[in-house]
Amino acid sequence: MTQPATPAAGAQLTTTKTTVEFRAALVAMAIVALIPLGVGNPYWLGVLIVSMYFAILAGGWNLLAGYTGQFSLAPATFAMIGAYTTGLLGTYYNVPPLLGIVAAVVVSGLVGLLLGRAVLRLVGPYLALTTLSFAEIMRLVASNTIDITRGDLGLGVAGLPIGRLAWYYLFLAVLVVLLILFYLLLRSKAGLFLQAIRDDEVAARRAGVDVVFWKTAAFTLSAAASGLAGALYAHFAELVTPELGLIAQTGLILSMAVIGGMGTLAGPLVAAFLVYVLSEWLRDVGGYQLVVFAALVVIFARFFREGLWGLAKAAVRRWRQA
Amino acid sequence: MTLLSVNGVTKRYGGLTAVDDVSFDIVAGELVGLIGPNGSGKTTLLNILSGLATADAGEILLADIPCQRLTPEQLAHRGVMRMFQLTRVFRRMNVIDNLLVAGRALGLDHGEALTRAHALISELRLDAVAALDAGQLSGGQMKLLEFGVCFMVPPRIALLDEPFAAVHPTMKEIMGAFIRARHAKGQTFILVSHDMPVVVELCPRAICMNAGAVVIDATTREVLNDARVIEAYLGGHAA
Repeated sequence: MTQPATPAAGAQLTTTKTTVEFRAALVAMAIVALIPLGVGNPYWLGVLIVSMYFAILAGGWNLLAGYTGQFSLAPATFAMIGAYTTGLLGTYYNVPPLLGIVAAVVVSGLVGLLLGRAVLRLVGPYLALTTLSFAEIMRLVASNTIDITRGDLGLGVAGLPIGRLAWYYLFLAVLVVLLILFYLLLRSKAGLFLQAIRDDEVAARRAGVDVVFWKTAAFTLSAAASGLAGALYAHFAELVTPELGLIAQTGLILSMAVIGGMGTLAGPLVAAFLVYVLSEWLRDVGGYQLVVFAALVVIFARFFREGLWGLAKAAVRRWRQA
Repeated sequence: MTLLSVNGVTKRYGGLTAVDDVSFDIVAGELVGLIGPNGSGKTTLLNILSGLATADAGEILLADIPCQRLTPEQLAHRGVMRMFQLTRVFRRMNVIDNLLVAGRALGLDHGEALTRAHALISELRLDAVAALDAGQLSGGQMKLLEFGVCFMVPPRIALLDEPFAAVHPTMKEIMGAFIRARHAKGQTFILVSHDMPVVVELCPRAICMNAGAVVIDATTREVLNDARVIEAYLGGHAA
């Protein structure tokens, strides 16, 4: 029989765990907020802005894959959909950026809802392959509808009349707001239901969880968050290309979540910064980023299933016991 | 008062008739043993009753309301709770959270669900492992936890599929006491088990299935002494 660890009174509920992770994530975001005090180089500020773009994507994908167990391979695609939504609305209908961004969230969320309904009964490799096919189809559509999107040449998008530092804090504010929303969602009963679905869908249905609703909701929210990130990025970069939806981009998002710790609130956000900054650093040694990250993902998936968050927790536990 | 009425339920998988024109009624407060050799259709019948499979023919009434097209979650909200032969718990969630999932999904608020979870943990003697993830529990403890999940909100009918299989005698005793206590308070059960002494002890009535069909539906003593039942288990003519 398994030996007792702690008495029932000491059991840490999911809501408590989520609160601890949320506080850790807030501390990390506070540190990110202070970085511009020491880093004024526009290039590195740009790198950190793109890190925040990826942090939003990794957070959104983590909600779907880490908490709900739906291993989608389309997070970058939803960013691309969001980016093209605001880009096309601005180009063809002169829709202002703010409205374009709202529309991007709605459109990507709706596409996420439809995809979520379409793949409702698929699990494991079948779900992954279907979402991968969807991602490639969407990217090829964007690439080949040259008359509308200008294809691989890219679509020019209006920027915002703000400087790089303002962009930095705009991305950070959006990241923190999303973090708070995810926290509120996960500490409610929704957090329990999503994790129950991840662990055993049949048992969740037996327990009375409306699996169809919550899986669809996870797909929709994850896609909407990605769409928001993509739309913001489009106005920041002032350009949208189909490359936003490349599978390599999804690979980067996955590695951030796995290395940070899937199913944890803080891990993927922090890992997004580490992975992207490392990625930029590795750019100088000749495009080996994905090889390095793939190796890291294998190592973390095999030996450190809870990622950096798990390692940090273990370190704190050892420190307390010492 | 009849709580569950199964009328002519049939389920086929290709050329195999897994459940063949099964009919019986369960009165509220009954504890009915469902027995039969392996492959006799017991689990398929429970799958149909719990919404995990759809009958090809027949009708199922829960308190006179047809329910054969409902999903497992809809049935859970109507008070049909199923325990699986191969234990199903949320392995990466701790014991309390496992119980909270069922409590919150079935309409309890957080405080009520937590109070109820602690009471069940105490009754099922899982206090010492309440902080552990379900995947870290022993097989017997997982079965006890699944009992708890099924009873977070007392169901109208509990469908228990082999709860005593490969379980330590101490755990078996806890489960037996749990079932007896609930039955004494009027809880309705269908208990699938190969453990005949337990069926004799717990179930006043038993239904025996063989090759998908009901062989006999009578008092447990009568069922176990019936030549057709012995033949079904031994696969030949009874002496």
